Amino acid sequence: MAVTGWGVLSAIGTGAEEFSENWGQRLSGRKDVTEMFEQKLPSETACAIPDFNAKAHLSRKGSSFFDRSTALSVVTCKLALEDAGLVHDPADEKTDRDIGLVLGLSSGGPQAMSDFIHEMYTSEKPYLVNPVLFPYAVMNGAASATAIWHHLKGVNATVSGGQMAFLTALRYARNKVRNGYVNAAVTGVVEEFSPTRAWASHQARAGEEARVDLGEGGAFFVLEDAQTVRTAGRDLDAEILAVECGLYGEPGDEDDPTVGMTQCIVRALESAGVAPGDVWAVAPSLSGSPKRDRIERAAITAALGTDTPDLLPVKELVGETYSAAGGLQLAALLAEHRKSPERDGEVSLVTSLTSEGMAGVAVIRGWSRATSA
Amino acid sequence: MTRRVVITGLGPLSTIGVGPDAFAAGLRAGKSNSGPIRSFDASGFPHNIANELGDVHPSDYVTNIDPEAWGPASLAAAAVARLAADDAGLDRAELRRGRAGSVFGTTGGETRLHEDAYRKWLDEGPAAEFGDLVQKIPAYRLAVAANRELGIDGEAVTLATACSASNYAIGYAYDAIAGGDSDYMIAGGSEAMCAFAVAGFYRLGALAKDVCTPFDANRKGILIGEGSSALLLESLDSALARDARIYAEVLGYGLNCDANHMVSPLATSIAECTRRAHKNAGVKQEEIDYICAHGTGTPSNDSAEIAAMREVFGDGLPPMSSIKSMLGHSMGAASGFGAIASCLAIQDGFIPPTINLNTLDPNFAGVDVVPNVSRDADVRIVQNNGFAFGGNNAITIFGRYE
Repeated sequence: MAVTGWGVLSAIGTGAEEFSENWGQRLSGRKDVTEMFEQKLPSETACAIPDFNAKAHLSRKGSSFFDRSTALSVVTCKLALEDAGLVHDPADEKTDRDIGLVLGLSSGGPQAMSDFIHEMYTSEKPYLVNPVLFPYAVMNGAASATAIWHHLKGVNATVSGGQMAFLTALRYARNKVRNGYVNAAVTGVVEEFSPTRAWASHQARAGEEARVDLGEGGAFFVLEDAQTVRTAGRDLDAEILAVECGLYGEPGDEDDPTVGMTQCIVRALESAGVAPGDVWAVAPSLSGSPKRDRIERAAITAALGTDTPDLLPVKELVGETYSAAGGLQLAALLAEHRKSPERDGEVSLVTSLTSEGMAGVAVIRGWSRATSA
Repeated sequence: MTRRVVITGLGPLSTIGVGPDAFAAGLRAGKSNSGPIRSFDASGFPHNIANELGDVHPSDYVTNIDPEAWGPASLAAAAVARLAADDAGLDRAELRRGRAGSVFGTTGGETRLHEDAYRKWLDEGPAAEFGDLVQKIPAYRLAVAANRELGIDGEAVTLATACSASNYAIGYAYDAIAGGDSDYMIAGGSEAMCAFAVAGFYRLGALAKDVCTPFDANRKGILIGEGSSALLLESLDSALARDARIYAEVLGYGLNCDANHMVSPLATSIAECTRRAHKNAGVKQEEIDYICAHGTGTPSNDSAEIAAMREVFGDGLPPMSSIKSMLGHSMGAASGFGAIASCLAIQDGFIPPTINLNTLDPNFAGVDVVPNVSRDADVRIVQNNGFAFGGNNAITIFGRYE
């Protein structure tokens, strides 16, 4: 499966070009967020996008009911389609129909759901909620709105996965592209920074060791069958050689997550036909949780050997973007390739792990863009 | 590599029966258990009748996981995974001999816990502690709970494509088995009751007051249904090798998106999805013996669905009934129940009825909606419809294994 274009919204840049530039400089996305919302937040900083405004990115009206997650999805998808040269042509119905959308998230837009529940609990009558907001507060709202905005009439799937949202979405998309259900699947993830998410994370993280700031953003990738792309003589940004995942146990369980994740990486490399020593970098989900970090580090070392390749500091720069994390990890790898022809054809990994012991890995072979910019 | 895929286990946890035998008996008898909502105080809602699990407790059907550690939808997903695996005669050792995973659909996931956390926040202010609830909220825990209950270590996928999500799940599992990614897959959906859905659907004008009457001239909308559904899929070779009972073969499926409107369905797009499903399954439209309809009972769904089926089938529209007349609309679990009903129709030779039908909508004249009473019939191939908000259409096709 080939990546033929990608788009990013993040605290360190918008769009593949700007993101790649700023990633290259290891720019930090940490920002003061005290003025971002009317509500008080548990922290003064986050890797957020305080000035994000969907209307500034979208050329027509109709986005005013979008909640933050939906807006992030619609705009990031647009950036990916543009990067791939797949902009909607109103005269070409057939092409549109064969493009699908796979969106990974956790449980819908957290703030949209809270706002809806707030209205239900505080209105004079519980049913005095805004019906226009309801479809966006339902979990498939963002994917549906994104498909409507960009005329994507192929499969439209919403995959829930938290830290594993991206790799799960990638496997889902592979399943559909490989079997010919769509010609292309725009596949991505989003996570918003909002009062609900900030407080929920604050409570869920209570009592744990220090972690990186929360972050927000999105990353979308246009996926097509690699052979078809090559046959047409088109360029690839990357090829997804393998995606493997599984559910393992708590540390010490019979299904030790370190052992499980190690086997998962080994299996993926075998399936990709890549030797462990040929992996030049890993974009891991590290720095979100010390407990998960220990497992992930041990698994990477066990699978790749002690001469471990570069571990890219993704969350240190873009924050803990939870459901969007895996997508931004891949974006960081592709940013390393985008202007670096000397890296052409090199192989790297994206690794992810959830607190439940769900683990996964993607094996990526990347290329540079012959851009004149 | 493409392998034939069959269904060898069924796990319905429904308001009309738990397990395939009780569920089949309920479908044949045209059972329903609708009544006033009990799982939360719904007295403030003008329409507060639903199909709830009531005295059926998912915790009674799990043996491995701790019910206290999971939200209601995840717990029920684990329960139906257990029911389906048991029905297929597969224990943990056998499941782990190959690669086994699960894929679950849902609309609301653990929205009820989001409501609980928010209530606490409102009642207790900034000092409220709800971190334990937050950790149980992620929707992806549905499939995680199912895998944990069965002790399997393959992939755990949760698809949140709303009211067609189970059909999405079945499609994914089908490809995973056919393509050799997995040897056993549990596929289904899980939906727990929440006030969120009652408020939302009421305000959209899609909620019936007291009874769900699909295809009726006076249909008013859905009743919300609770429940979970799961099917066990494996390759035909695997089923034959272990001499398993085969309910039906998964012939294929079709997916597409209206990309048109957030809540209104589009008949031409549903027709296109149907044609895709037939093509993928390698069946001709005249071979379909029964359509297990999406049949929500809202004026717009039933009109769009019948218009779409007429566009595809012309004068040859087979019998088409709505089991939501009995179960209510169990959202993410709904098309899984449809798939289970399809398997039982094929195995037992009957078509479930559309109950509560008084006057067929004159616009649907000539459509056989199997009014009120189930019917014995030789059912070889079934089409199972699932449609969702945002135009997420998914249609699965099942056939008798022969």
